[in-house]
Amino acid sequence: MSTQGTHIPDWLQVPFAGITPAPSQKGQDLFPTGNWRAIRPVYRDKMPPCNNGCGANEKIQGYLDLVKRGKYLDAYALIKEDMPFPSITGRVCYHPCEQACNRGQHDEAISIRAVERFLGDFGQALPRDVVRAGPPNGKKIAVVGSGPAGHSAAYQLARLGYEVTILEKSPKAGGLNRGGIPDWVLPRDVLDREIERLVELGITIKTNTEVGKDVTWDDLKRNYDACVLAVGLTEPNSVRAEGEDKNGVLYGLPFLRDIGMGTSRVTLGPRVVVIGGGNTAIDCAREAFRQGAQEVTMITVEGNAGEMPCVPEDLHDMLEEGVELLHERAMTAVLGNGKVEALQLHPARFSGAINASPIAVDRAAPAERFAADTVIIAVGQHASLKWLPDQFKTERGTIRVDRFGRLGETNVFAAGDIVQAGSGQPLMVVNAVGDGKRVAFNLDKVLSAEPLQPRTIPLDVVTDLGRMNMTYFPHFPRVQQALLPPTSRRRTQDEVIQAFTEEQAVEEANRCFSCGTCNACDNCYLVCPEPCIVRSVRSNGLYKILVDYCKGCRVCIEECPTGCLEGVPELDFDTGVVRMDTAFAITQGLHGRQAEELRRVADQAAKDIEHWR
Amino acid sequence: MPAIEVQRQMLPLLNSPNQGARFYNPDLPETEPFVPGHRTCAGCGPSIQYRMTSKASGDNTILVGPTGCMYVANSSYLCTPYNVPWAHTQIGSAGSFTAGVAAAYEAMIRKGKWKGAYPNIICEAGDGSASDIGLASISGALYRNHDCLIICYDNEQYANTGIQASSRTPYGGMTTFSPPGPMIPEAKKLFPKDLARMMAAGHPHCYVATASVGYPIDLMNKVRKGLNHKGAAYLMVYTPCQKGFVYETPRSIDLGRLVVECGLYPMWEWNPEQREFDYSFRPASMRPVSEYLKLQGRFGHLQAEHIATLQRFANQQWHMMGVELPEPLIRAADAKNLAAMASAEAAAVVAQTV
Repeated sequence: MSTQGTHIPDWLQVPFAGITPAPSQKGQDLFPTGNWRAIRPVYRDKMPPCNNGCGANEKIQGYLDLVKRGKYLDAYALIKEDMPFPSITGRVCYHPCEQACNRGQHDEAISIRAVERFLGDFGQALPRDVVRAGPPNGKKIAVVGSGPAGHSAAYQLARLGYEVTILEKSPKAGGLNRGGIPDWVLPRDVLDREIERLVELGITIKTNTEVGKDVTWDDLKRNYDACVLAVGLTEPNSVRAEGEDKNGVLYGLPFLRDIGMGTSRVTLGPRVVVIGGGNTAIDCAREAFRQGAQEVTMITVEGNAGEMPCVPEDLHDMLEEGVELLHERAMTAVLGNGKVEALQLHPARFSGAINASPIAVDRAAPAERFAADTVIIAVGQHASLKWLPDQFKTERGTIRVDRFGRLGETNVFAAGDIVQAGSGQPLMVVNAVGDGKRVAFNLDKVLSAEPLQPRTIPLDVVTDLGRMNMTYFPHFPRVQQALLPPTSRRRTQDEVIQAFTEEQAVEEANRCFSCGTCNACDNCYLVCPEPCIVRSVRSNGLYKILVDYCKGCRVCIEECPTGCLEGVPELDFDTGVVRMDTAFAITQGLHGRQAEELRRVADQAAKDIEHWR
Repeated sequence: MPAIEVQRQMLPLLNSPNQGARFYNPDLPETEPFVPGHRTCAGCGPSIQYRMTSKASGDNTILVGPTGCMYVANSSYLCTPYNVPWAHTQIGSAGSFTAGVAAAYEAMIRKGKWKGAYPNIICEAGDGSASDIGLASISGALYRNHDCLIICYDNEQYANTGIQASSRTPYGGMTTFSPPGPMIPEAKKLFPKDLARMMAAGHPHCYVATASVGYPIDLMNKVRKGLNHKGAAYLMVYTPCQKGFVYETPRSIDLGRLVVECGLYPMWEWNPEQREFDYSFRPASMRPVSEYLKLQGRFGHLQAEHIATLQRFANQQWHMMGVELPEPLIRAADAKNLAAMASAEAAAVVAQTV
């Protein structure tokens, strides 16, 4: 049509601007629909942001999709690929997946953790776990520490067929899961059941066995084929204040650990002060109420609550329970005659921009006196590695590993907080689990003499909202987890956050966009004008494009709600370079079958492509 | 004469399997009466409509194709993409031909020569055939209440002959018969014929509805309702034409949604039993018409007052639907609050010189 007299914007010029090469016999052979297709639709499952954000790289989109369809057992099996204890992370995880969730930019992020907890509890109710130990390969592995990283490494190694022994110095297994997380977040019986599942896999757990005391470094190397050190950070940091040795001064992690192990003989005074503003400090403050404290005050160096290095939801719940905050103070001395009577506070701030920087205390300012009966210091932990040869230690007091998690050329690996502390990576359960998993796979590769993979996985294309078609997703509020009311919960050990019912879990999973992944919504199949998109059964990723008929209109790409379909240029018309090889090479994942078919077409056409013009 | 028991297909309506926020299309019929390999343009709207319609109607279907894109582009060299019986007829005789097919099946069933269910008889007329040239014959078929479904796939112009204005071409739409110029800067001064309401008003015993390719499940359900209706049914479907509208091909479905959200294509059903319009369809959002216009090259010449005219037209449509207008849409009907299409001034200069 003549477009004289009107103005066609530049971006609409494309179909008319003469990019179509003159028809030739060879061109016709190559593109039976004519030469007008410049871009070909290709299915390619991409990395959803949740899977990418998860420290253990759980296939979150995958199990949410299964929950949508009511296939809970499949969903539980999928989660167990990467995560040995979904019932625990479903309660305690700081959910980096939800921060990454694309839905957060649309309305509210999916409550992934709650769905994971639903699946974890579903799995705990099963008479037998879905995973089994691999066929025995006769090799013995020691895993030092039964916290998240050790648990994860032992679990994955047992699945690979190794004979795994966990060495735990405490009287009960569980590590940080037991000793760092209070009962009202993670009930004991849930953790005990997960430890049982580990024993059911054929793993031996030796409690009251401390490396460096009961077992030496040389014993480890002599008695086992390989070893994973997941000892964690066990020793609390001090604030270097005067009188820290007084009766009534407690440290955060040992305080929680003794309660968790059932060996606590602590009685708190009515007025409790918690020093520190992190997650452990918050847990200590909330636990203090449950241990009988009347008033709890949290003293932090941070200028306001927003700067505290903690999870905002936990902070909110803590304030609801009645904990007072006091900012920009540092404790410089503990006052009292043999026992704590008051604290001496000075104004303080961080000397740098981040929380890890040194604290500048203004000692010239008049000191404040703050009356207290008990003070709990929770300002981080460090490692205790006296038994380890110096060559494997870093200046930060952690274990020196290469990027595969391996100590030099030995068969010893390390994982979890003991490696990650100070590396800039936030210390959380799910990161330790992921680290344990990757190290377990590397250990397997070393013992079977295969090339190693780095601890961090390579990034795929992470789907962003721009790739997706938001018109298909109406705004829908997030399903909220019920909480116990603050007044009743602060005196009991009952779980504060309530579980989803089945209906709630399905409703929440239904909110998932399935970013970048085919979920068999049938939309491409329905809107193709040809119609050259076919499927024999309706199932994720089993769609096929009859490329001989595709005219390259890209309606399917535009209308794909999840952004799984993408356009790949067929030819660079300026240079005459045929890009078809690239187009085929990137096809992967569930669409491998289609990719294979397309690859064959390219091979047949290759001789024509050489003489394209 | 004993009453003849006619076995009817009574196709079930598609129900959305979506609960809550989920997006998942219902399970579609397995049949493929419309297959690939035809010569429509990339991103062809009528072709999308054809695929959805035929999928909804199933294998026991007879298609009638009066002259139009879906005849010219689809059936060259004795090849057609139809897996079901299909026949071409002249552009003016869409209604009479369809009436003949329907009457023939009625007679064959009466005489016992056709065993089985009454076929779905669908006439796929373009807007040229349905609103101009074949209007009389279609009106006749509806008037006589033959048991058939007549679909007008409305691409708002005569497309296969090279984009000429039809009586469905919207105000301001450029075609080769309505180019913009110094005398008529808005290109087309006349407003489109309100074809579907005309059919509903004139043939109140028929099922009449409007639909859009932007709402596929709604479109397929309306096709099935029309086929299940005993007697004549009429459906007008918005189908964008990439060559005539001058838009990027991937936008075909998107335009089908936008035209409804902008109020330029009200979606409704005429209920022949109650003898009243059903205006209950509501798009997800309401937008000013400029959002629809700016995607199309055929509106590239419009000045602010022309856009305001179109917005007033859209507001009247919303009013007809019984929708209360939000403040932004009322403001958008005033040319003072509008800018010309980005290029309108530049285009006017070009128009003066040619």
